Amino acid sequence: MSHTHTHGSPGDTHHKAAPMVEEITDYEVLEIAVRELAIEHGLFTAEDHRKFTEWAESIGPAAGSRLVAKAWTDPAYKALALKDGLKACKEVGVDWAEPTGVGTPSDYMEFHVLEDTPALHHVIVCTLCSCYPRPLLGMSPEWYRTTNYRRRLVRWPRQVLAEFGLILPPEVEVRVEDSNQKCRFMVMPMRPEGTGNWTEEQLAEIVTRDCMIGVALPKPGRTADVHPIQKARRPVKSSHQEAAQ
Amino acid sequence: MSEDRIALLEATCNQDKTWEALAPRYGVTNPSPPWKTSLTAMCDCLAASGALPALERRNAEDDLADSLYSHIPSPERELLALVHTMVSRGLVNEADLISRMKAVRARLEEV
Repeated sequence: MSHTHTHGSPGDTHHKAAPMVEEITDYEVLEIAVRELAIEHGLFTAEDHRKFTEWAESIGPAAGSRLVAKAWTDPAYKALALKDGLKACKEVGVDWAEPTGVGTPSDYMEFHVLEDTPALHHVIVCTLCSCYPRPLLGMSPEWYRTTNYRRRLVRWPRQVLAEFGLILPPEVEVRVEDSNQKCRFMVMPMRPEGTGNWTEEQLAEIVTRDCMIGVALPKPGRTADVHPIQKARRPVKSSHQEAAQ
Repeated sequence: MSEDRIALLEATCNQDKTWEALAPRYGVTNPSPPWKTSLTAMCDCLAASGALPALERRNAEDDLADSLYSHIPSPERELLALVHTMVSRGLVNEADLISRMKAVRARLEEV
């Protein structure tokens, strides 16, 4: 179904609605059905479900980026972040006790910031399941949950990091920190060269989610919004290009 | 953890109807289906209430992702594994689920 919306005042312009998947799949139906039955059986309440949904949708990696940028510019804050991660989180507006008052069931209230140095690089994983510092970084990326990442990172960290485009010199030690049900971690990467006079806001922009997982390094000009610019070395010729030759 | 097949889920796990397959067909760029966060919240609720601890759910999901639902991508696989685990543990009943799915579909198609 495709239609146009007209909004409000006469000055408003018409615009085409964003495309939607216009069919009801059994997956969608199954999710609703099992949730309704779980609520009816008293496994949880609709209100609790709404609260957890709202909370999950409201968080992203921005607070983590602010934490790192603040630590880069404020030595006292950096010391706090390394000593008491939960307290440092509160200063960037994240209280790990939310939304329940004692934290979510999958985000226990123990959290450590791992500092990278010229000789040491950290990367986080959860070999057991998908533990992730969600209050600070939001939902984990799909690849973080895959067995490919979880099983291989601890065995062949350099190989896996290289698959993300991160190739570290052999003299840099790679330390894989395994998150678990009781403790969460986040990587504090090194501040890159060329950012000496940057503001906290500018710095936060280059501390992307992947930098705080440890599969990427912050770099001036590389933000979460930057698209790949490397041209293919041997691009396939399109049919009309071949026809023109 | 039981990896016995569950007829309802066998009938549901259609690769062609996953978000990964459907979204490009409709020109939709959102990487996740609209029900994804609801599913995550449901897992959180089940853990919070003690009905299904997160670790046990994830262990079961790992097993099922390697076996019965290995051909289905995430998040549909996560949903199938969760429901599979809930049915196996008697948290919900397969017959109730079949009946409720019919009712839900009728409700959604009514509008």
